[in-house]
Amino acid sequence: MILDLGSEAKEYGHEALRAFETAGGDQLLQQAEAKPDTREALVAPVLDRLGAWDLDPRVDHDGREAAAALCRSAGYWALPYPVAERLSRPTDLDLDGLVVVAGDTPEAALAGMQNRWAAVTLGGHRSRVVGLSAVGPGFVAALELSDIDGQGAGDGAGDVALGVVLPCWTLLGMLDRAIELTIAHIRLRKQFGQPLASFQGVQFQLTDAEVERTGLDMLAKYALWSIGSDDAIDDALALRLAAIEAAEVVFRVCHQLHGAVGFCDETTLSWLSRYSQPLRRLPLGLSATRDYVTRRLGRRALTGLYG
Amino acid sequence: MDFDMGENATRLRRTLRDLIKTHVPGDFLGAFTDDPADLEVAQRFCRTLAEQGLLCMSWPAEFGGRDASVWEQTVVREEMWAHHEPRGAQYMGVNWVGPIIMRHGSEEQRRQHLPLIARGEVIWCQGFSEPEAGSDLASLRTAARADGDGWRVSGQKIWTSYATMAQWCFLLARTSKEEKKQQGLTIFLVPMDDPAIQVRPIRAMLGPHHLNEVFFDDLKVTNADVLGPVGGGWSIVQDVMSFERVGIARYARCERLLAAAPSILGDRWEELPAELRGRWTRMLTHCRRARLLAYRVVSLQSSGRIQPGDAAAYRIAVTRLDQDSAEVLMEIVASVPRGDASTEYYRAEVEDHWRYSQASTVASGSIEVQRMLLSRALLAAS
Repeated sequence: MILDLGSEAKEYGHEALRAFETAGGDQLLQQAEAKPDTREALVAPVLDRLGAWDLDPRVDHDGREAAAALCRSAGYWALPYPVAERLSRPTDLDLDGLVVVAGDTPEAALAGMQNRWAAVTLGGHRSRVVGLSAVGPGFVAALELSDIDGQGAGDGAGDVALGVVLPCWTLLGMLDRAIELTIAHIRLRKQFGQPLASFQGVQFQLTDAEVERTGLDMLAKYALWSIGSDDAIDDALALRLAAIEAAEVVFRVCHQLHGAVGFCDETTLSWLSRYSQPLRRLPLGLSATRDYVTRRLGRRALTGLYG
Repeated sequence: MDFDMGENATRLRRTLRDLIKTHVPGDFLGAFTDDPADLEVAQRFCRTLAEQGLLCMSWPAEFGGRDASVWEQTVVREEMWAHHEPRGAQYMGVNWVGPIIMRHGSEEQRRQHLPLIARGEVIWCQGFSEPEAGSDLASLRTAARADGDGWRVSGQKIWTSYATMAQWCFLLARTSKEEKKQQGLTIFLVPMDDPAIQVRPIRAMLGPHHLNEVFFDDLKVTNADVLGPVGGGWSIVQDVMSFERVGIARYARCERLLAAAPSILGDRWEELPAELRGRWTRMLTHCRRARLLAYRVVSLQSSGRIQPGDAAAYRIAVTRLDQDSAEVLMEIVASVPRGDASTEYYRAEVEDHWRYSQASTVASGSIEVQRMLLSRALLAAS
């Protein structure tokens, strides 16, 4: 058993973190929010230099791990660019990226993007994105779709598994950052003459968040490894379910421990929290995802590790 | 990455399941019941495992083990706990008493104790907790005073599992008062049949044999009964804790019971409230999460890179899973009328799981202690 990303993937992730910081770090999101149609120009050059589009997450294990590490680093900076979605592009269609959507209300955080996009439902129905509505919060736009086929879940390495798993890595990166910011804040901020970190009530909340983050880290690795197997979609959906639940706990704790300043745009948490929303709500939120997975499993439990 | 445990582990899992099916009665709920036959099942099963070289397979070959990989050891932990621990109390001897004696014991202690554990013929209990020393173990008061060529032990232990059936006690006592309370503690290997030891069972919702009080009234022990150096008990306790980092594989029983629910309930499964089936799904993902966190601890420990916070995060996740899954399972079985023969054993399993899970956030290091360890690690690292 090897339970961690390979050293090359981890190094690639670190390189990406540094590159995003050099390119502007937290400023990138603020600039993109002001002008959503600059997202491509702000971020794409960095990704090009990182060789992001040379990664092949569908068939190459090393490429898949590197792609996951890249998504996590993008999440850490709340990069205003659909990195995971670009990396999930279908190989059999001449399109630039893929988003997983709800069948009845297809939406995605694609506002301002000029690329050619595919959409796939959790059931594997694929469409071409032919139109975007006006930009909403978190760069979310309603999608106008044109049918392609039902091949998205056709095999284990299909669009659904990859399209669900990689954005969870982005969300994981956001949780990494939120916890890191919160630890820094509670060590610095004093109340009653002591750092917040010295209060057990604060410490215990922090551990709730960390258990969620660490658990998600392992589930993300497992689901990534599982891509290509017969259980890939079940594993991806189990990850997705855990990721949304983890995000709810982590952001609630991080906001609570930041206090009022966490709602202010002078803190990065405020930006992270808001821009985590599309990843947490789309294609389906917590209850709808749980409902979908339950119906999909029927009488089966999750297999794989249990043997 | 590679999450495949390997062919040896898969084969071992199959072997263990076959042995359980063959040698453990279909209505077995663990060795600790009011029916002595259940204890006999466990004793026999241990001997069967020992005969097949499966009881102490994690031990080094020089002590009669097989040098099994950490993943084979993981499979044993999982399969045993998933099926109501048919080794009974002997898992403690195998998991940590034996290995600790290998590491810290004298030649005589190794000769005396290891073969008995390896053959599955002896039960140990752990004399650590006291009425005034639970999570704060180093505050214990049971004292051993020097007496000629040995020691006299007086004091009280509490919450001591299996003390009524154990032949030996792994006893921690204070042998001197030092500047720090962690100093001056010593481990003694004590035979439980001495008349100076009295065991008083505590009736509890967990079931019989789990909780006892043990009283030591001027118990005479010799220097040969001291494990490791006099005053060096605390570092041995730390070693015990390191063997118990993963502890019992609680997630394995949770997962087995959850996975079985739809087939046990039959047509009733679809009649359950959708919300309850949703909670069932959630618990399945939490089982997977706890299992993966356990594997992470095993992996980090085997590579020597483990930090206190790593095990703490797992233990918080798995003990909460134990209780949360028990609540969901209790609701599921509540949907079936009592007296339904096809679900009778499953209901008993679930009720037993619920009772035992109530102690999971208290036993072997409370969840508060785990949170303290984890938060300390998080705040120190930044």
